[in-house]
Amino acid sequence: MSARQLAITVGVAVLMGVLGLALGRYAAYLVNAVAIAALGALSLNLIIGYCGQISFAQGALLGVGAYTAGNLSNAGLDGAVAILGGGLLGAAVSALVGLPAMRLRGLYFAIATLAAQAILEYLFKILDPLTNGVSGLVITPPTILGFPMNSDQSLVVPSLVILVLAWLAVSRLMRTDLGRAFLVVRESEIVAKGMGIDVSHAKMQAFLIGGFIAGVAGALAGYANRLASPEAFTLDLSADYIAMIIIGGLGTWPGPLIGAAFVVLLPEAIQRVGEAAGISDILSALRELAFGLLIILFLIFEPRGLTALLSRLRPRGIGAAPHGSVGAPGESGQPQEGGSR
Amino acid sequence: MALTASDVTIRFGGVVAVNRMALDVLPGEIVGLIGPNGAGKTTFINCLSGTYRPNAGSALWGGDELIGLSPSALLRKGVARTFQNVASLHDLTVLDIAKLGASVRRDRRFGGHLLDFFRSERALEAALTESILAPLELTDVAHKPIQTLSYGRRKAVDLARALAGDPQLLLLDEPVAGLTSHEGMAMAKAVRDVRDRLGCAVIMVEHKMDVVMSTCDRIAVMAAGSKIFEGLPAAVQADAEVRRVYLGEP
Ligand SMILES: Nc1ncnc2c1ncn2[C@@H]1O[C@H](COP(=O)(O)OP(=O)(O)OP(=O)(O)O)[C@@H](O)[C@H]1O
Ligand SMILES: [Mg+2]
Repeated sequence: MSARQLAITVGVAVLMGVLGLALGRYAAYLVNAVAIAALGALSLNLIIGYCGQISFAQGALLGVGAYTAGNLSNAGLDGAVAILGGGLLGAAVSALVGLPAMRLRGLYFAIATLAAQAILEYLFKILDPLTNGVSGLVITPPTILGFPMNSDQSLVVPSLVILVLAWLAVSRLMRTDLGRAFLVVRESEIVAKGMGIDVSHAKMQAFLIGGFIAGVAGALAGYANRLASPEAFTLDLSADYIAMIIIGGLGTWPGPLIGAAFVVLLPEAIQRVGEAAGISDILSALRELAFGLLIILFLIFEPRGLTALLSRLRPRGIGAAPHGSVGAPGESGQPQEGGSR
Repeated sequence: MALTASDVTIRFGGVVAVNRMALDVLPGEIVGLIGPNGAGKTTFINCLSGTYRPNAGSALWGGDELIGLSPSALLRKGVARTFQNVASLHDLTVLDIAKLGASVRRDRRFGGHLLDFFRSERALEAALTESILAPLELTDVAHKPIQTLSYGRRKAVDLARALAGDPQLLLLDEPVAGLTSHEGMAMAKAVRDVRDRLGCAVIMVEHKMDVVMSTCDRIAVMAAGSKIFEGLPAAVQADAEVRRVYLGEP
């Protein structure tokens, strides 16, 4: 990553940390929620935004991380080890989710990931000894490197440290041969093959790395909620993550954080307004509708999401991605074949 | 090393796109491949570069059989090709594409990616800029995303990608088509320079006859999937059959 990206990443995390620690429990809760959502969105942006593989199973992958870390720390392991365990199992399951991508493309693969999401949700419900069924696994607050995680405030520093590390790792990854290969695979598998890129290998790496980050995000989500339950990791959550990366801007550098903040904070704000005005029921019903509309609007008018909107407001703004007119991933302007048509 | 392709045949349904095509190329030689639209030139290149698997035929490269190998395996052997239509790859810079071209020579499983993660690319960037981008006049746009470049420059980038892998056999599919005459001249010169520098064998598919005549050591003419003529540039121009089939004379 560039020095500028490093400075921005650390700066934003410090700001979030100060807000989360200085403004009381509710602020800490929001900072954690945004950081965890940003991690999940980061992982999905890698898979969809950079590598072009549309996946609807990210919500369940977070679940894998939450259950794994919850069980490990309930068994007495330190939270840091448990989070790592959540990441590793997340990576392993993500590799399975990505397996059909070796053969299927585009919509067909997306449908396969829908099936994976459904299967994982089912497993959360029936693998009783590990998941405690529909009532969910109660997670005792762990200690992370010896620090007890007994409040929202205590989780702020670990969440943000992990967010920064993951963010920098992905930024760096995108400046290696593997990261560049992702971008070519996204545009055209035929071109990628002709260039000598091992397409299956590249996709599998995207799923492994994305799954690891999703598992870590899920582990943190489990610690934040002190519970891992099937309802927390449904297709709705997967859809939320897709909303985040589209609203933030597919395949952009700051997009996952911007999208996560938007999707997490807007409903909170609406709720506060609704409570004040006494119409919270109506407004919360409008939430799904509003996100659905936003996704459609962004896809049509600004596929690069809020990132592009913001960088247009400031000509030398935070939109770090080179400006392009990318459509949806995999849908390049001229999909050129390895030869003539 | 020399290339000896013989009997290369590929069918699509009922169409025999390439029919018992044979071609020899010596190291340091630029062989032009011309012929009317649909003659099978690109398809023949696709067979040699691993994009298509021909139904029959052989392509020996210093004793190794190339037919049946994947594009990535061929690139590791030094067989590189450029595309007739260049892809517009969003978000990748000129230098990124050159790096991708250079990466194909390295086999990268077993933790290689992890090493990449910690390795600085400064030295690689400097080397690619000097040896690949500068001769193709791409230095000033090295950090530009390629979708911002003109068509001609994107074709130069595609050639840069192929060259970054240190090719020994270079398959060029219409490198000059769609370029301005100035760009075309620069491109043709770049191809000759590469041949002189690397001593590689080159097959160049091209329609622009002036470029073909001034660049190629030998010319093969294809029509309807088969080779109908092969010889020195002057002989090709003099041949009545070629003039009729290709140059459109009665
Ligand atoms: N994948 C394919 N499926 C079916 N037919 C194909 C395929 N690829 C090539 N062909 C056919 O093979 C024939 C040769 O096409 P090819 O693209 O090789 O011609 P060309 O000599 O490169 O022409 P041009 O000068 O227009 O580029 C054409 O009839 C084409 O339709
Ligand atoms: Mg052609």
